[in-house]
Parts: sequence; structure tokens; C-alpha cells
Amino acid sequence: MDLNELLKNKLYRGIVEFFHENQTSVDTPRGIATWVKEERAVVKNALDKLVELGILIAHEVSSTTGYSYTRNKKIIQTIEKQLKNNR
Amino acid sequence: MVEISLPKIERQKRILERFAGNLDFKKVKSSFSKNLGPFMLWVTDRDPSDKKALKQGLCKVARASEKNESACLANITGILERAAVSGKTETFMCPFGLHGFSVPLVEDKEAFGYIICCQLKNEPSRDMMDIFSYLVNTVLKEAKKEVELEDLYRTIKPRTVALSTVHTVHRLIMSSLYLNELLARIARLSMQIIRASRCSIKLIDSKRKTLLPKATVDLRTKTTRLKKVKIGRWAPGKAVKFGKPIRAEKYLATPLIDEDVIGVITLYDKLDNQSFTSFDEEIMRTLAEQAAIAIKNAQLYKEQEKLTMGSIKALAQIIESRGSGIYTSKLSFLKIVQLIGQEFKMREHELKTLQYAALLHDAGELMIPEKVLRKRGKLTGAEYRLIKEHPLKGAKIIKSLKSLKSITPIIMYHHENFNGTGYPKGLKGSDIPLGARIMAVVAAFEAMIAKRPYRGTPLSAERAAEEVKKHSGNQFDPKVVEIFLKVVKRKDVRHLMKREVHGSK
Repeated sequence: MDLNELLKNKLYRGIVEFFHENQTSVDTPRGIATWVKEERAVVKNALDKLVELGILIAHEVSSTTGYSYTRNKKIIQTIEKQLKNNR
Repeated sequence: MVEISLPKIERQKRILERFAGNLDFKKVKSSFSKNLGPFMLWVTDRDPSDKKALKQGLCKVARASEKNESACLANITGILERAAVSGKTETFMCPFGLHGFSVPLVEDKEAFGYIICCQLKNEPSRDMMDIFSYLVNTVLKEAKKEVELEDLYRTIKPRTVALSTVHTVHRLIMSSLYLNELLARIARLSMQIIRASRCSIKLIDSKRKTLLPKATVDLRTKTTRLKKVKIGRWAPGKAVKFGKPIRAEKYLATPLIDEDVIGVITLYDKLDNQSFTSFDEEIMRTLAEQAAIAIKNAQLYKEQEKLTMGSIKALAQIIESRGSGIYTSKLSFLKIVQLIGQEFKMREHELKTLQYAALLHDAGELMIPEKVLRKRGKLTGAEYRLIKEHPLKGAKIIKSLKSLKSITPIIMYHHENFNGTGYPKGLKGSDIPLGARIMAVVAAFEAMIAKRPYRGTPLSAERAAEEVKKHSGNQFDPKVVEIFLKVVKRKDVRHLMKREVHGSK
């Protein structure tokens, strides 16, 4: 999926904005659902999609998964531009 | 003149913006128009002489000529200065004969903005102005509250996000009991929350003189630098020696302390090329405290596992000696199951389970008479039935040992065939647990190449592998066979098998 298209979706945009603003954050689907004010299950699916796209990193353990922001500078710069353009 | 701090000016600007954009403020304007007739209403900030800001509200007559404009601006400036001094609503008549008034927006006895209301045909009554002023102040209070809440949110949110991160990291770290897996995870998480390019974890050796590299993650080169460091040397060594973080522009070394110092986490080069800060140091102190406990737990667990493995090996020796009278070391088979499990991306605890099962898969033979196990000729129907019962009997024995409960399904189903013709349940395909499908292949291979006194010459490893291949898809899972064939071709595996099975060095 194209990043520009992705950021038009309210949920994806909310998650990406959260991680872009809080790049040191590591949080569970439940925690992120609280930040973006959405259902946990819906958020979990979106998080996994963002991991596939290389925007997030998943830290998986048996009881939960922690998600954090990419460390790829190019991806971060692209997101920065897209968020500004779509503001 | 009183000097006002920049943050205060900034905040008051935001209050004014909120105030001007407030829907209720618009309602106030529209409802007053009904009583006062059409009028012009606008908000301007603290500086009464800021002509540019004042111009936004000028009427057509004022804009008609430069003379009119300067007359109007001079009039308004005068009114605003009066309002600033009195702190109260001030009325006026403009140079073009229309009426107006100005309400100062006051905070700490000081006007930081004004509402200007002009172009009224008639002079507004005092009562009307009081009501207007009261409503304006109500809306102003609301705007102030909104800004206060916004500021509070801005202050609290980063702290809450940090707290949530610490909590999540704690959960992620405490979820692993396997030291290698745990150390790699701690390194990755440390890099993530500090946004560093490289992380290295070193633990103190048993003589407490050297720091041994245990986990390194490097974003830039993807190569791991595994360097030993003497305690007291370089940043990691100093952090351990002095028991406190050592921070510089390009690195941050944080000791892992649990009663005593057990190691050090060192981070290098922040992603944004900035220096490491005292905040990074604080965060890493918290993470290192949690990490030290998790590492200690994992080390204890490792010790416990060694004991368990020792007991299992002893039990395996008894089982095998009853069957063949010979015990052969099973290191090569343990290695084979481990490598196959890794190819299937099994986690550490699953790999461990697989290894235990490799040693105990025939535990049920303990309940079969030795004469049946060692019989050289063909088995009778009753004897064969006894043999077929060994997976169930083995599972029963192992089930009673709580710590080995996870291997029960592997023991129970390792004689099931992929096409459903096996025993004890006749399970088929993926209904057979993966561990049991792996064990079926490895146990059959092991049986074919091991020396047995009641059997002729064992098969060579190549020949036994051919046999396994022949039964791929019917007796064995083809995916497992495919991986197995790759694994047994590995030089290290061949070498280990040769040494164990044939006794060559």
C-alpha cells in the first residue's frame, strides 16, 4: 500500500503520527489503542500491517507484542514529509 | 514598563486565538446584533499601537482615504490605551460619527488583548455593555481553560508515553528465561528507546576480571564486534568498576546491577547525531535495573536446566540400556533435532522441548519386558501389541513429571505416520504435532544407524537417509524430510555422527 494512501486512513494516520511524535516509545496494542482511541483488535491488525511495511518493528513475546518505530532514517524522512503535506 | 516573559506572551496569544475562534463568541456577536443593530467586532492583541493588527477591522469609510484611516487608527489607539489603563470597558465616538466601545481582555491586572466593537449607529447603554463584557469574560475564561488543559496534556503526555514504554519493556524483558534470547532483546530495546545506532551487552566472567561480549546489535555495519574488555578499561569497563553510568557525547555505558555488578549495556551514536543526555541516562538506569533482574533469573534458569538435562540424560541411559544393552551418546541426534527445529523457526523453549523429547521418546519401553525389547526373531502378535503401546505408556510416565509435560505430545505421537497409518491414534498430516513429525524422522534415522546386538550391521548414514527419503509423504512429513536431508549433509553433523556412532575420532 502507498504511504500517502495509508495516511489518508484515520486509524493508520493516528498510529503513524503517534510513533513519529514519540519515536522512543515501545507499546502494546492495548496501550496504542488508548493513544489513538480505537478498538484494540482493529489497532492490532493495523500495527501488523505497519510492521509488514517496515514502518514499525514488532518485539514479540509469548504474552504480548511490543511495537516501536522504525530506525530507518529514509522511512522516517518520507513520513515526516507526508505528514506535513497531508496536514 | 513591566517585562513579560516570552512563554507568557505565547500562551496569551494562544488564548486570544482560541477566544477569537470560539463558537460562543460568534453567538454573542450575532445575538447582540439583534439589539444593537449591525456592528463591527474584532479582537486584537496586547499592543494598542500595532497599526497592522488594528487595520483588519476598519470600516469602508475609514478605508476610503489615508486621512480617514489615520484619523480612525489614532482614535482607536487612544481608546485602547484608555482601556489598558482603566482595565474597564471604554466607549467612544469615531471621527465619522459612529459609536463604539472597547473591552480589555485582562490577566493578572494587565490587558493582553482587546475586543473592539464599532460602527454602532446609537450609543450603547451601560447595561448592554455590562452584559456584553460579562459574556466576553465568560468566553475568555473558557479559552483560558482550554489552553491550560492543552498545556497540561503537553506536559503529561510525554511522561505517560515514557511510563507506558517502561512498563512494556519490563513485560518484554521479563517474558524470556533464555539468556541469549533475552540479551539480544535487551540490546534491541535499549537501542529503540534511546534511538542509538549500536548496542553491546557484556557480562562479567567468573573470575570477575573481564567483560565478555554476549550480545551486539549494530545498525550501521550489520557486523557484530565481539570484543572482550578488562574491568576498569574503556567506558564499559569503567561503568562496571565504578558501578555508575559513564556518559559522553557518543556513548552511554550503564552498569547492570543486581546486588553486585553483573555486566554493562553500552549504547553508541544516537540516530539523530545528538549527544546522549541525562534523560537517556535516567531511562537506561531504569531499564538496566529491570534487565539485571531478568538476566539473573535467566542465569538461574540455565543452571536449573543443566540439572534437568543431567537427569534426563541419566533416564535416557537407563531406557536405552534396557533395549539394546548399549548406551550411545546422542549429541548428534540432539544437534539434528535442534537444527531442524531452527529451520522451522521454533523458539528457544520449543527447541529445548524437542531436545528433551529426543532423549526420552522411548521412555515407554521402561514398561515393556526386556526379553521383548531384545528379541532377535519375529515378534508375536501379543509382543507387537506391547511394543505399539510404548508411546502411550511413555507419555503417561512423562506426564507425571510437571517440568516435562510439554514433551508429552511428542512422545505420544512420534510413531504416527504422515498418511494416517501409524499408532497409537492414527493421526494424519498436520494433526500430528510438528515436534512429533520431526521426532518420527530423527528417531527412525537413529534406529537405522545405531549398533544393536540383536540386529545385523547398521545402515550407513547415507543409506539411512535414503530410506527416510523413500518414505517421505507416507510415513514422514515431506517438509521435515526435506530439511532433515539438508541437515544430515552438514559437515559438522556428519563429523559428530561419525565420532559417536562409529567411535572414530
